[in-house]
Amino acid sequence: MSGARTATGAVMAVACLLLAGCGSKPAPSASPPRPPASPPLATSFASTGGASWTVVQMGGSAAQENNFWQVFLRPAATAAWRQVTPLGVADNGGLVVASSGAGSLVTAFRPSQLLTYTPLAASTDNGAKWSSAGPLNGGLASAADALAAGPGGQLIALTSGGTKAELGQRLGATWTRLVTTSSLNATSAGKACQVTQLTAAAFSGGSPLLAASCGRPGVAGIFADTGGTWHAAGPPVSGDTVDVLGLASSGTGLVALLRATSGSSASIIAAWSSGGRWTLSSPLRIGAGKLASTAIGQGGSVGVTWNGTKGATLAGPGATWRALPTLPKWAATLALGAQVEVIAASGQTFRDYQLAAGGWSLAQTVHVEIPYGSSS
Amino acid sequence: MNSGLNSNNSTLVAAFRAALLHQGIYVLLIFAILAVAWVSAREWLRPARKPRPATPEPAWRELLRIGFGVIWIFDGLLQAQPDMPAGLPSQVIEPTAASSPAWVQHVVNWAGTTWSYHPIQASASAVWIQLGIGVWLIAAPRGTWSRLAGLASVAWGLVVWVFGEAFGGIFAPGLTWLFGAPGAALFYCAAGALIALPERTWRSPRLGRLVLAGMGLFFIGMAVLQAWPGRGFWQGRLHGAQGTLTSMVTSMATTPQPSFISHVVAGFASFTEAHGFAVNLFAVIALAAIGSGLLSAALPEVGLRAPAPWLIRATVIAVIAACLADWVLIEDFGFFGGLGTDPNSMIPMALVIVAGYLALRPAPAPVAETAPAPEPAEPSTAPAEPSTAPAEPAPAPRRGSWQRQPARLARAFGAAGTGAVVAIWAIAIVILGAAPMALAQANHNASPIIAQAIDGNAAPLNFKAPAFTLTDQNGKQVSLASLRGKVVLLTFLDPVCTSDCPQIAQEFKGADQVLGAKARDVELVAIVANPLYYSATYTRAFDTQERLTNVPNWLYLTGNLAQLRQAWKNYAIAAQILPSGGMIAHTDVAYVIDRSGYTRNELNFDPGPGSASSESSFSVELTQTAEQLLRSS
Repeated sequence: MSGARTATGAVMAVACLLLAGCGSKPAPSASPPRPPASPPLATSFASTGGASWTVVQMGGSAAQENNFWQVFLRPAATAAWRQVTPLGVADNGGLVVASSGAGSLVTAFRPSQLLTYTPLAASTDNGAKWSSAGPLNGGLASAADALAAGPGGQLIALTSGGTKAELGQRLGATWTRLVTTSSLNATSAGKACQVTQLTAAAFSGGSPLLAASCGRPGVAGIFADTGGTWHAAGPPVSGDTVDVLGLASSGTGLVALLRATSGSSASIIAAWSSGGRWTLSSPLRIGAGKLASTAIGQGGSVGVTWNGTKGATLAGPGATWRALPTLPKWAATLALGAQVEVIAASGQTFRDYQLAAGGWSLAQTVHVEIPYGSSS
Repeated sequence: MNSGLNSNNSTLVAAFRAALLHQGIYVLLIFAILAVAWVSAREWLRPARKPRPATPEPAWRELLRIGFGVIWIFDGLLQAQPDMPAGLPSQVIEPTAASSPAWVQHVVNWAGTTWSYHPIQASASAVWIQLGIGVWLIAAPRGTWSRLAGLASVAWGLVVWVFGEAFGGIFAPGLTWLFGAPGAALFYCAAGALIALPERTWRSPRLGRLVLAGMGLFFIGMAVLQAWPGRGFWQGRLHGAQGTLTSMVTSMATTPQPSFISHVVAGFASFTEAHGFAVNLFAVIALAAIGSGLLSAALPEVGLRAPAPWLIRATVIAVIAACLADWVLIEDFGFFGGLGTDPNSMIPMALVIVAGYLALRPAPAPVAETAPAPEPAEPSTAPAEPSTAPAEPAPAPRRGSWQRQPARLARAFGAAGTGAVVAIWAIAIVILGAAPMALAQANHNASPIIAQAIDGNAAPLNFKAPAFTLTDQNGKQVSLASLRGKVVLLTFLDPVCTSDCPQIAQEFKGADQVLGAKARDVELVAIVANPLYYSATYTRAFDTQERLTNVPNWLYLTGNLAQLRQAWKNYAIAAQILPSGGMIAHTDVAYVIDRSGYTRNELNFDPGPGSASSESSFSVELTQTAEQLLRSS
């Protein structure tokens, strides 16, 4: 009988242990540190020459591979946008456009699906004709200003999720490593910022400029390369953690869009540099809103949209933020030309709305033939 | 593990049927040979009849043996449903493991991958193994072979429980008796283990007490889990959505099945949605009461008085009622929908509990031999417990002497009963099923049937391959004529393609690996299929991306646009520029050119779903076609 009791007890003990295991919950794990949010890809830019271009996603499909990015361009002194998307590569991973002025455009196809490197297309006539350029080995970072075009066919590309910057010659025929976040953080400028991710690139006077998200509060991570040495070139921003969302040469200097984050609340700040001195705008509070697009226009004007229906613009240095009326449905980005416009993209339809006295007025509609299923 | 194919793919279904038919003929052939041999042995050798067993088989064991034998046969027949080859990994195994921890998914994926790589072999194997075990259990009532049938049930049950049921979901968060925890196959294992017990365990009520007590503990544990707050069982609706039980029952009601059954199940879903708390309260009380009742059977084991017999009887009746209700209303019978693999856990669970109840009554006392046995009994049916047999037959031959005495073996075979012969046949069926599965497991390359299911069979051709002279990725000129003497596998790839071309490149690379040493007689050639991105910098970027730079017989050729267009025309390749950011639409094809420069095969090479199994399958198809040409030239 004693053996029987032992066996019964053992069976009960094992069963209880098993059941206890079934009912228990795993201990919660510590949440990882928040990675910096990448700047949005949807954007528009108005060059000093007067031409404007915009990059928006179209297709409206739940299947990501069926949503294709499109480039639209409006030449100087014209009213209508035209589709100038370069052909031959699936652009469902996103497009990044850079201009070096005078109708020269370079478009990078962010790799998607099984493609892991970045094809490039170049145009010298505002996108009327494209030819293959590059390619860039590695995937271009997801940021509207991850590609910059400079004089003489020079390019800067941010790759590997914003941890590397490459310098290209002859429209990307050859590439050399410009910097990595690690090497940048080894410099005194990098240490002051504690770069977490490169977010934008530009050329200024033919020299490379890089922008980043900083881990250290109060620093806007903008870096200039002078003679092979990187030094800090950004403005101080009191208090908060700062990501640079956009960086462009504009007329006489630079214009940058900054996102200052404190806790879960964010503000957008525009910054203009002229002669090495920075001017900061007042902060535009977007709270926990999800930034959807950035726009840089003529004369240093800037604009942002967030949460799908909200937008604000800033006319230039010294101006204050202007809240826009509720944006039209499917708003993708603002375009800042002679007037404030909203580019809306739904399914196969591109729409341009202009801000009039009574609100938004539809100015143009373009039907876009989306190649659904071509990448499935 | 997902092959990416539709479960009703006609090629796979036809191949599955053909495999079953083919193997079925073998099964019948084996039966015929065994029958002829047995009848011949009886007629020519005239062996004496074997003695009747000393102890009759107890009712509980007979119930388990025949009950689970029938269930295994039923499962085997379910396994023969046409959707099984492609559907089981993606629609049964993968979803079953989806909510389990990563390590469980890893283990389950391992088996699912084997299945998806060899869908026909694996599906057919499962059919025969399960049919074989079922027949074996039914046909072998006594002795070593009967106990081995129990062990076979344990072994295959464990395979099914681990790989097919993801450990019965016991590591998943939604564990509940109502949904079939701890998995039907675990009861197959339990039943098999009980069947495999030696005869000395039959003569004590202790076995029955332990079985009932074990099940009692299980039910009490399940009652605790069922009562546990925060698992969504107490609410018919939760946060605007259906509660856990309602959601499960609703999804079961959508299974393709006779409409009157789905109406019943959907009606119960509505009832649980409206009365979620009451239903769960009833379930908790029922589970706890049943658990307590069953557990009380073990009281004598701890020195306490046995409960009144009516209590255990009533509990067992309650178990049967609860199991039947759950089986119909929640598990929805478990075998509908084209991919049901078994009748779920309630029937096996009820069988085990009823067997435990029957085992509370000790087996009848041994009876005297009714016939002397001048010849040694066939070992498979001889009583396994000499100590319990009142009179042993003549001394059995030593096993080692069997090989030296074929006549004696033949006599023993002739002396065997019908059941023993059927049991031998059943074992042959299990082996017939297990062998292809073992071979499939050892083969890391997928069956070509998957590629054929996606794109059809290779089309035979016989014409001189059109010439081309282009530039390879290293800037070297290459003509088709310069490749004479080798088998050429030729395809057309877009270097900036995002889907098909990287897959096709990997399939070519895979073919190179499968070819092994023969690859030195084979050249893998791709020609650019993009009229906009065709420079050598792009073919090199593609090679780097696909890790083809170290494949010595890989050539990615390009040229100027005129040269490329000519090659496309000669090989009937369309390379169409699509608008608005679409990639180039081009023909996915592979040509197989023999050593003398003749095109011998055209393979439609749309890679389909691009799963690991389909990629491997295309590689094997390519390899087999190349090997055919290597052999013939």
